[in-house]
Amino acid sequence: MSDEAMIVDRGYRTYDGPRSGVVGAVRSVAWHSMRSVLGIGRPARHKILPVMAVLIAYLPALVFVGIAVLLPVDLVGKGVIPSYADYTGFIGLVIVLFCGLVAPEVLVGDRRNGMFGLYLSTPLRRDTYLVAKILAVMATLMMVTLGPPLLLLIAYTFEGSGPGGVGNWLVLLVRIVASGVVISAVFAVVSLAAASLTDRRAFASVGVILVLLGSNVVMGALIVKAGVSSTLGVLDLLGMPFELVQRIYGQPGGFPKMSVLLVAGANAAWATLGGVVIWYRYRRLAINP
Amino acid sequence: MVQAINVSKIFGDVVAVADVSFSIGPGVTALLGPNGAGKSTLFRMLCGLTPPSRGQVAILGSDARHDREVRGRIGLVGQEEGLFDRLSARRFVEIAAATHGMVDPARVAAEVLAEVEIDPDDPKPVGAYSKGMRQRVKVATGLVNDPDVLVLDEPLAGLDPVQRRRMITLFHRLGDEGRCVLVSSHVLDEVARIGSRVLVIAQGRLTAAGDYRALRNMMDDRPHRIRLLVDNPRALAARLIAGGTAMAVRVEGESVVADTLDVDRFGRSVAPLARDAGVRLREVVPLDDDLESVFRYLVERR
Amino acid sequence: MTGVVVPRRERHPVGVVATFVITYRVFLRQIVTRSRLVALGVLGGLVILVGWAVGVSGPTTKHPEPLTRGVDLTINLGLTVVVPVVALVFAAGVLGDAREDGTLVYLWLRPLRRWPLALGAYFSALTVIAPLTIIPVVVSAALIDNSSDLVVAALLASAVAVVGYTGLFVLLGTLLRRSIVWGLAYIIIWEDIASGLGRVAARLSIRGYAGSVLTDQTGVVVDSFDLSRSWGIIVPLVVAVVAVALTSLRLDRVDVA
Repeated sequence: MSDEAMIVDRGYRTYDGPRSGVVGAVRSVAWHSMRSVLGIGRPARHKILPVMAVLIAYLPALVFVGIAVLLPVDLVGKGVIPSYADYTGFIGLVIVLFCGLVAPEVLVGDRRNGMFGLYLSTPLRRDTYLVAKILAVMATLMMVTLGPPLLLLIAYTFEGSGPGGVGNWLVLLVRIVASGVVISAVFAVVSLAAASLTDRRAFASVGVILVLLGSNVVMGALIVKAGVSSTLGVLDLLGMPFELVQRIYGQPGGFPKMSVLLVAGANAAWATLGGVVIWYRYRRLAINP
Repeated sequence: MVQAINVSKIFGDVVAVADVSFSIGPGVTALLGPNGAGKSTLFRMLCGLTPPSRGQVAILGSDARHDREVRGRIGLVGQEEGLFDRLSARRFVEIAAATHGMVDPARVAAEVLAEVEIDPDDPKPVGAYSKGMRQRVKVATGLVNDPDVLVLDEPLAGLDPVQRRRMITLFHRLGDEGRCVLVSSHVLDEVARIGSRVLVIAQGRLTAAGDYRALRNMMDDRPHRIRLLVDNPRALAARLIAGGTAMAVRVEGESVVADTLDVDRFGRSVAPLARDAGVRLREVVPLDDDLESVFRYLVERR
Repeated sequence: MTGVVVPRRERHPVGVVATFVITYRVFLRQIVTRSRLVALGVLGGLVILVGWAVGVSGPTTKHPEPLTRGVDLTINLGLTVVVPVVALVFAAGVLGDAREDGTLVYLWLRPLRRWPLALGAYFSALTVIAPLTIIPVVVSAALIDNSSDLVVAALLASAVAVVGYTGLFVLLGTLLRRSIVWGLAYIIIWEDIASGLGRVAARLSIRGYAGSVLTDQTGVVVDSFDLSRSWGIIVPLVVAVVAVALTSLRLDRVDVA
């Protein structure tokens, strides 16, 4: 054998272009999480459930717009068709299902397949990683919490039954956006907290749905049937965000005895508690190879 | 005993196994191929776990997927990690024996566990076992029914060298008993010890079948390399080239390394040549008559 | 084929009963995990707690009668949340988990008939689901109104629901890879939303039949639960039988890891 040694240049290059840092990393993790949840770039069977849930969320809006176009009566004003304030509550079960689909998919997979450790080898730390995940769930949820009311607003406006005057129109827009963002944020943190408790995606889904639906049914039963104080409604994890939406629209909602401050405080408290649970779970989470 | 006729398996756009045909009888046969070549898919089709997209498979003349009686005569040791993790090894193997209808499953379980050197009285659940022990428990479940056809997918993975040797001895014994033992591996020296009869699969296609030494001899366009240890290497090298016996030679210290296309003629003529040249021939060693050479040729030259 | 030279161990064909008993025991052992039992046991405890709270409180303006309160709670909490979700977790997991983790092969590649295997899977799930759901629902109903009507109705209705849902979800576990998520979507979209839309839709949901058993037995009128008790019992039973039959057919065609 000759003593000569040679390494063939296979064309590997180091990257010396611009780096986008933590913000870029958060953005791309959030974006990829959203893509994976919605089944973008995955086989068709991963698209069916999210697409179905989104469709069901928009279906009533489309039907209402159709009714508004066909019947020249103000059905919204007469309470036949849910108002903007009522719409998110009207599709509440779909939002619950969407939370159950989205949060586990965004969070649990990374722990099982070792991606979590890989992410921590990038500019992301545990806190910024979790921020990216919360943003991903929020943005995905906004598809069903923000999209349909916006669609209603735009369609009603073109049809001529929208709010009168630019000022009113803008106020309504702000209310729609504010409620969409706020309830997405609360549901995102609460459902991620429930999903952070198990390593199995399926059980995380069950957990998310049980927490939201279970607290709603149990509190409803206690208040309506056992006659306990309606203030106990602050423990209704599904009802409180929807109640906050009512208050943003200036409506009394389903818990008229509660002050706006209490409703807002309950939502803030649940979001904080959810954040604490997630952080507690992730603070010392071991990184699997 | 095991037959595949034009078998293909297609997952969506991926062709995992393409048009594979072979037929094997009793004794040990090794299925050799790099990772992802389609070995496990082929085994799963043979045992009926998944139907072929095209073609036919048969074990003992019928398709295990639909023939209950044949399923009782197969032993499969799959690559999947899953075991009933919360059971003890004895209970796990006992269930395997019961599902095969063995008389006295407890005794059968103890026997086959002893065969793979697992203590039947160990109360630990198999979930707490090491990879090598789990692997041996899986082999034990494959043996409970005295299978006529034993299919083992990477059975040596996770075993230490001593266990590997014992396991290979066990396979040979089962093969000698007249069973068809089909073992897959991607590790060459493992396969060389498992048996000389191989099926080579690469990228889903069967590239060779038979005794690997015979296969080597069939590769006519690839020169055989032979090392000759002699007292006068230069003289012999000159004779080998002059007589056309070797197509290339190289002198390395005390030895001559010769390349030849016709290994039989080389073998016949090298001794007379050495005698004529007055060279003392101490040793003749084929350098690439091994499985690795065959494998490189079949798999990597594609 | 060459003759076999060594003596073989003695064996006999595995009968239907033996197949059922083996698979029942194996699956039961696999699906009962402590974390599942604790989590869903807590859910059952919560149901009893709510029943107690509703029972000790006096009549409210909306629901003056204990009987109507009991029926209402049994439908909204028991038949809508507890029974379907608990049934989903255990039933979809029986064959679904075995497929996912590769243990199904230890029962599949055997000289066993498929139908007793499917039946074993069904009854192992039923054994866990029934006590975890029926007991809390019945106790909760009894705490609200201890008239025999409501207790018997709650027992019958939840039993009927358990029988039907378990069959459906055992089958689902063999059909889809992410069966629990699909099952949740089914429970929410079909059983809750669609069956709330009208009578026809309610007749295509397990909840519609179980709810009818409850209303027919107690005489309480609830919209869209208007079938007779016998239909309410027969249809979920038929659903379960058909589901087990389909599970057994599906096992013949399934891809085993």
